[in-house]
Amino acid sequence: MNRLPLAVGLTSAAVIAFQLVIMQLLSIAQWHHFAYMVISMALLGFGAAGTLLALFRTQFERHYATLLPALFAGCALAMAATAWLVGLAGDFDAFLLFFDAGQFGLLAFSYLAWSLPFFCAGLAITLAFHCEVQRIGVLYCANMAGSGAGALLVIGLLWLVPAERLAGLLALLPLAAAWLAQPAGRSSRIAATAGLAILAVALASLAWPAMPSPSQYKDISAALLLPGAEITHTVSSPHGRLEVVQADALRFAPSLSLNFRGEPPTRPVVFSDGDYLGTLLGPGMAGERHLLDHTTRALPYALRRPARVVVLEAATGTEVSLALAQGATEVHAVEPNRQLNRLLRDHHPEWLDGLYLDPRVALQGSSARAWLARPATPELDLVVLPVLGSFGGSSGEQALREHYHLTLEAFSRMWELLSPDGLIAVTLWHEEPPRAILRLLSSWRAVLATQDAGTPLEHVVAVRSWGTTTLLLGKRPFDAADRAGLRTFAADWGFDPLILADLESRERDHFNRITDPLLFAAIDTLLDGDARQFLRDYPFDLRPATDDRPFFARFMQWHRLGELRATFGLRQLPYLELGFVLAGVTLVQITLAAVALIVLPLARSGWQGTRRRWTLLYFSSLGLGFMSLEIVLIHRMLLYLDQPVYATGAVLATLLVASGAGSLASARLAADARHLAGTGLAVAGLVMLYSLGLSLLLAASMGWPLALKAVAAAVLLAPPAFFMGMMFPLGLRRLAGREAPQVPWACAIDSCLSVAATAIATLIALDAGFQAVMWLAGLAYLVAALSGPRLGTLEVGAPMGQNPRQ
Amino acid sequence: MNTARRKRHGAGAAALLPALLLLLAPGLPGTALGEETFTAQRERMVSRDIAQRGIRDPAVLAAMRTAPRHEFVPDVRQRQAYDDNPLPIGYGQTISQPYIVAYMTELLRLEPGMRALEIGTGSGYQAAVLAEILDEVYSIEIIPELARWGEANLRRAGYEAVQVRQADGYHGWDEHGPFDAIVVTAAADHVPPPLIAQLKDGGRMVIPVGSPFRTQVLMLVTRHGEEVRTQSLLPVRFVPLTRAAE
Repeated sequence: MNRLPLAVGLTSAAVIAFQLVIMQLLSIAQWHHFAYMVISMALLGFGAAGTLLALFRTQFERHYATLLPALFAGCALAMAATAWLVGLAGDFDAFLLFFDAGQFGLLAFSYLAWSLPFFCAGLAITLAFHCEVQRIGVLYCANMAGSGAGALLVIGLLWLVPAERLAGLLALLPLAAAWLAQPAGRSSRIAATAGLAILAVALASLAWPAMPSPSQYKDISAALLLPGAEITHTVSSPHGRLEVVQADALRFAPSLSLNFRGEPPTRPVVFSDGDYLGTLLGPGMAGERHLLDHTTRALPYALRRPARVVVLEAATGTEVSLALAQGATEVHAVEPNRQLNRLLRDHHPEWLDGLYLDPRVALQGSSARAWLARPATPELDLVVLPVLGSFGGSSGEQALREHYHLTLEAFSRMWELLSPDGLIAVTLWHEEPPRAILRLLSSWRAVLATQDAGTPLEHVVAVRSWGTTTLLLGKRPFDAADRAGLRTFAADWGFDPLILADLESRERDHFNRITDPLLFAAIDTLLDGDARQFLRDYPFDLRPATDDRPFFARFMQWHRLGELRATFGLRQLPYLELGFVLAGVTLVQITLAAVALIVLPLARSGWQGTRRRWTLLYFSSLGLGFMSLEIVLIHRMLLYLDQPVYATGAVLATLLVASGAGSLASARLAADARHLAGTGLAVAGLVMLYSLGLSLLLAASMGWPLALKAVAAAVLLAPPAFFMGMMFPLGLRRLAGREAPQVPWACAIDSCLSVAATAIATLIALDAGFQAVMWLAGLAYLVAALSGPRLGTLEVGAPMGQNPRQ
Repeated sequence: MNTARRKRHGAGAAALLPALLLLLAPGLPGTALGEETFTAQRERMVSRDIAQRGIRDPAVLAAMRTAPRHEFVPDVRQRQAYDDNPLPIGYGQTISQPYIVAYMTELLRLEPGMRALEIGTGSGYQAAVLAEILDEVYSIEIIPELARWGEANLRRAGYEAVQVRQADGYHGWDEHGPFDAIVVTAAADHVPPPLIAQLKDGGRMVIPVGSPFRTQVLMLVTRHGEEVRTQSLLPVRFVPLTRAAE
């Protein structure tokens, strides 16, 4: 089968592309953290494939020629039909998971259904490696290169084809692989008929795609229930799906002053993956004033006259129009979603009444941090950050998201860029219990301490309405004129001063009373009290987010769950921070499933006398180490390479291709103890080196042009990836010498631990940061270096397995 | 494999299928329960989940004892109707937890002769509780399907006097205003100015803020002439959040 490497490459490309496609589909239908949970479980299909092969190795070997094309074809069918299959079971809703027991059945069915394509692909490729061991170098290279190409291919495809249609299109790749893998001269009518039938299913899936039903609790679902609501525009890209909804009842008036007696405008709303992104407000005038003048967001303009303003994550430009209405002469709108920017500036400028064509506005398609890091960034009078939270508080779905614009490093950089009168403004929706506002204050306190700038009470002011609070951090202390301006602004609109150096307690809740004094006491302590003691006592984690731990919206802590349960009750607990809880649930599920898949083959083969402990240790370490490091490097490069979507694709492709090259190079080395230990030590050494110096290197070159940074990233990523790619084939060859039956089991171990590592690394990063994950990876490779030499002793050509780390 | 073992396996598989189907079922249909059972459950709900947690207004307690909550939940949820939980009613909406309904009603300080407006009929249960105390209750629901269902629930349960209208609640119901009490159960991220205008001087408006499945804050809006004030209330008395006492 000379065409087999091509078949393996095509299927590998399809599998990784399919993974990213269903990530987007599930994010649209439910939420990002749910997509993460389902895909993590689905990827265990790779582990299950290794386990099955370990259990029935001889039977698979006997029917290899027939099974291989059948498995490729099965993968194609599963890719094309899984979305339909999932739809048959009914509408799953992640929001009801902890409320409605029936949802667990639907969830389990989702896991099984979405794992089918991965299981078929994993089994086909592992089987090919196993039975075509003499060509393992070429096959493994095809596997890696195909995966790398798939990561890039899907980004291009997502610009051209909506995600739900891509499953059918991608299914053509493993179908082609099935055709390529047919034994020469043995094509049968049955095979041809089956192939045509699958082709028909794939084309049907392309023409009439099945889309998972969106949760009834998604923002867009609520909007579409309004009378006359319609989606007037839809566009898909690797950034996600943007939909514009128009309805007569969609009014924009977020936390509007109760003194406002006018008519809030009815404007279309943009949703991204079904979540509210922004309202197409345009110039935003409500009579003679801007609509947002009647909200706490106007506070910075009530105190000072900022001329040069930056709006970070500008979305649909509501804050941009406010700045212009308040007399700003230069407004930088920084928004990383370039698809959105193109829509609003180039294709449909009329949606915003030409706001982004205003000569005073510079729209930048960049992440907040990349823009702030530019050497040419001007001195700023006002930095406006995106509004935090949502009306009624969020359900913690942001807990797993990185917020690099809210880290200590980000605030420090903003501080450096501020003019002498400059301000940083953040508006938050109220939430119960209070968390984000307290973390923000603890962050600003830390920034002021590092800048040696004065006390927080001098540099921070805030005003509170019935729904939102706007906080300002000033480069210079707020003076008497500022304080008077704040009081006048608050009195005019029925707001209450919340933070002010000379504030009297009765001023705090004249218009908007709160019965729980916790918020006031907590703020006072953080600004002018024993903050350290308070942070220790509070049941939520309020430490400032950092670039190493950029999860600003993650507050829950495992060791305080008991207290939270006693306070809020078990049933409400998940909704305080759904993302965090689901991350824990994911780890438990994966661990249980992985243990079952690893232990299952032992029921047949037994444990004793076959050096299995070293096999388990070595391949567990590889799975854990590779994936942990991959996650850390992707996160580091997300911050470095500006555009998250492209950064992820580029990092994945670089890692996989370099690993493939390492695998090819390993074929020239003897799989002896020296090389196994040496390679492992090289990776562990590099990881430790990177843990000490990578952040410094990236920070030093952050201001470089993107092309140069991309080259720097590739140069930094390639060496560890190259050595990491050597360890798996070296280990398998070493193992195959004496313990060939263990090879599929080793593949299963590696696959299962690779998947488990994603959950482990996520939870460690949430609490201890990416640095700790990097140390974990280094430690794993050290264990691999020590255990590798104890694997089987004789070397012959031996198979390697497909694993989900691609 | 011997016959006995095979049989046992067969029985296991047969038992597994219904179990799987059970798992896949979105919810068990509520087996018809008798009125007496519902009355007993309602009594227990009031004494255990409402009166014991601080609701004192006799009119509110009487209303909660009388309004048949099971008539306002989907059939599949009838068994859970008197649990101390919110329940999903479809369309991304919920029927609030009984305690929250009672607390909101008490906050309105209702007296006979007053006129109340509800924005967001939903299942109709809140309107039914209001109608146990007042003669004039008006309710607006923007989602047509919910408006029909909520009104049908009210009529079936005998609340003929409650007037339900399918419309955009933003505008309130000017013809019947001003109102002594307004309940905005379908809260938006702003308080519509027309509702403020339709609130009597000294009138009270209650808005639940937050997901019904987790910590909710109730916002009480009061009007004093042209000045409007709010008060955020935590309906559930949490234990202190800090360990400062240690």
